[in-house]
Amino acid sequence: MTWLPFAHALVARQDLPIPAWLFAWGASIVLIASFFALSAAWRKPRFEEAHWRPLGAGFARALVSRPVEVVCGALGVVLLGVAVYTGLHGTEAPDRNFALTFLFVTTWLGFPFFSALLGDVFRPVNPWRAAGRAAGAGFRAVAGQPPAHLAYPRKLGRWPAAVGLLAVVWLEVVYGSSGGVAVGLAPDAAATAALFYSAYTLAMMALFGVEEWCERGEVFSVYFGMFSQLGCFAVEDGRLGLRRPLAAATRWATLPGSAAVVIASIASTSFDGAQEGAFKSAIESTFDWFVDRGVGLTASLRLTDTIFMLLCFAGVGLVYELGVRGMRTVRGAPSLQKLRVGFAHTLVPIALAYLVAHYFSLFVFQEQAQFTYLLSDPLGTGSTDLFGTASGGIDFTLLSANAIWYVQVAALVAGHVLGLTLAHDRALVYWPDYRQAARSQYWMLAVMVAFTCFGLYLLSVGNG
Amino acid sequence: MLPVAHVGHYLWVFYLLPVIFVVIGIVKTTLSERRRDPEDEDE
Repeated sequence: MTWLPFAHALVARQDLPIPAWLFAWGASIVLIASFFALSAAWRKPRFEEAHWRPLGAGFARALVSRPVEVVCGALGVVLLGVAVYTGLHGTEAPDRNFALTFLFVTTWLGFPFFSALLGDVFRPVNPWRAAGRAAGAGFRAVAGQPPAHLAYPRKLGRWPAAVGLLAVVWLEVVYGSSGGVAVGLAPDAAATAALFYSAYTLAMMALFGVEEWCERGEVFSVYFGMFSQLGCFAVEDGRLGLRRPLAAATRWATLPGSAAVVIASIASTSFDGAQEGAFKSAIESTFDWFVDRGVGLTASLRLTDTIFMLLCFAGVGLVYELGVRGMRTVRGAPSLQKLRVGFAHTLVPIALAYLVAHYFSLFVFQEQAQFTYLLSDPLGTGSTDLFGTASGGIDFTLLSANAIWYVQVAALVAGHVLGLTLAHDRALVYWPDYRQAARSQYWMLAVMVAFTCFGLYLLSVGNG
Repeated sequence: MLPVAHVGHYLWVFYLLPVIFVVIGIVKTTLSERRRDPEDEDE
C-alpha cells in the first residue's frame, strides 16, 4: 500500500527538453498573439447576453425536481456529518482520516473543477442551504407564515465571503502547517472548524434568509458559484438549460466585494504554491526576525505566514489595480470604480487556471485515496473495511512529472487567454470604437502576462 | 569570479523579462499613438 504524505500540492522534478522559464516566454507570446487576434477579429461584444435556453428532455427536468433536490440536500448533510464525526473520532494522521481529504481535496478542489464544467453543482448538495431550507419549511408549517429576515446591508455585498475564503485557506495552509502537525491540519481541528462554520452559517441564514446569504456571504456557495459562471449549464426559473459559455460571468461581479473574492482565490493559491518555494527564504527570514524578538515558534510561523498571505492578496490586488488604472487613461474610459467592477469577472478563468495548475496532481492522486482506503476505513483506525477497498492505495505512476507540468502550463495559458477574451469583450461595451477598446486592453494584456509568468515561476520553483 | 553556484536564485529574472518587454511595448505604443492622435493629448 502507498500512503500519500498529505501536502498542499504534489510536485516532482521534471525532465523537460527546454528550460522551464522558456515556457513563460512561449506563454507570453501566445497571449500577445491572442491579443492581436482579438483586436483584429472581435469587434462586437458577444458575452453580454447569456442566451439561456431550456433543455426539454425528461432527464433534465428530473435533475432539478424537488425529490432530487431533497435527496441531494440530505446527502450533503450526511456527508458533512460523516466528515465531522471522522474528524473528531478518527485517527490523528491527516492522510488516513476521511475528514481532511473529503473537506480540503474532494470538496474544496473538486467543486471548482466540476462547477466550471457542469454548472452550480454545489447548490443542491449544500448542507447548510438544505438545513436552512428545512428549518424555514418547518417554521412556515408551525407559524403559518414565512420567517421574517433582516435586510442584508447592500454595501457588504460579497465581502463576508471574501474574508471567509481567506479564513478557510488560512486554516488549511497557515494554521494547518504550523499547529504542531507538520504535514497538514489536525482532523479534529478541521471538524471543529466545520462545526463552528455550520453554526455561524445557520445563524446568518436565520438573520438574512437562506438564498440571500448563499448568494453573498456563504463562502462555499459564493466560491463554487463563481466558477459555475464559466460553464454552459444553468438552472433558471426551476428549469435546467444551456447558455453561452463564459457569458454568465459578465454579470457575476456586479455585487460589491466580488473582485475581492476572485483576488482572494488567486492570492491564496499563489501563497500556497509559493510558501514552500519562491517565498521560502523570505518567510524563513521573517520567521527568524519574530523569533529573535521573543515571539514563540508556533506564533512566529503563523504570524509570518499570515503576513505573506495578506501580502499575496495585496500584490494580486495591486496588479489588477494597475491594469484598471491603465485602462482609465484611455479616452472615453468610465470611472475607476466602474472599471474595477466591470473587469473583475475576467479574473475568474485565471483563478480556475491557478487552481488546476497548483492542485491538479494532488487532486488526481488524493482522490484515489478518497475512493479506496478512506472510503472503506473513514476513521483510519484499520478496524473497518466497508467496501472492501481498505487495502487500496495510490498509483503514483498515473501521472508523470512532465505530464503534470504540461497540464499546468496548458491550464495557465488557457485561463489567461479566456481572461483576455472576457476583458476584450467587456472593453467593447465601454469603448464602442474597437480601436479604443483594443488600446484599453494593452494594460490587461500586461496584467495577464504578469499573472502567467508569476504562476509559471511559482510552479517551476515548487517543482524544481 | 562569477557566483554561478547561486545562479538558480536569480532564475526569476527570466520570468520577469517578458513582463518588462510587454510593459515597454505598451508604453512605447501608447506614446506613439498619442503623438499621432492629437485628441488624446487633450485628455
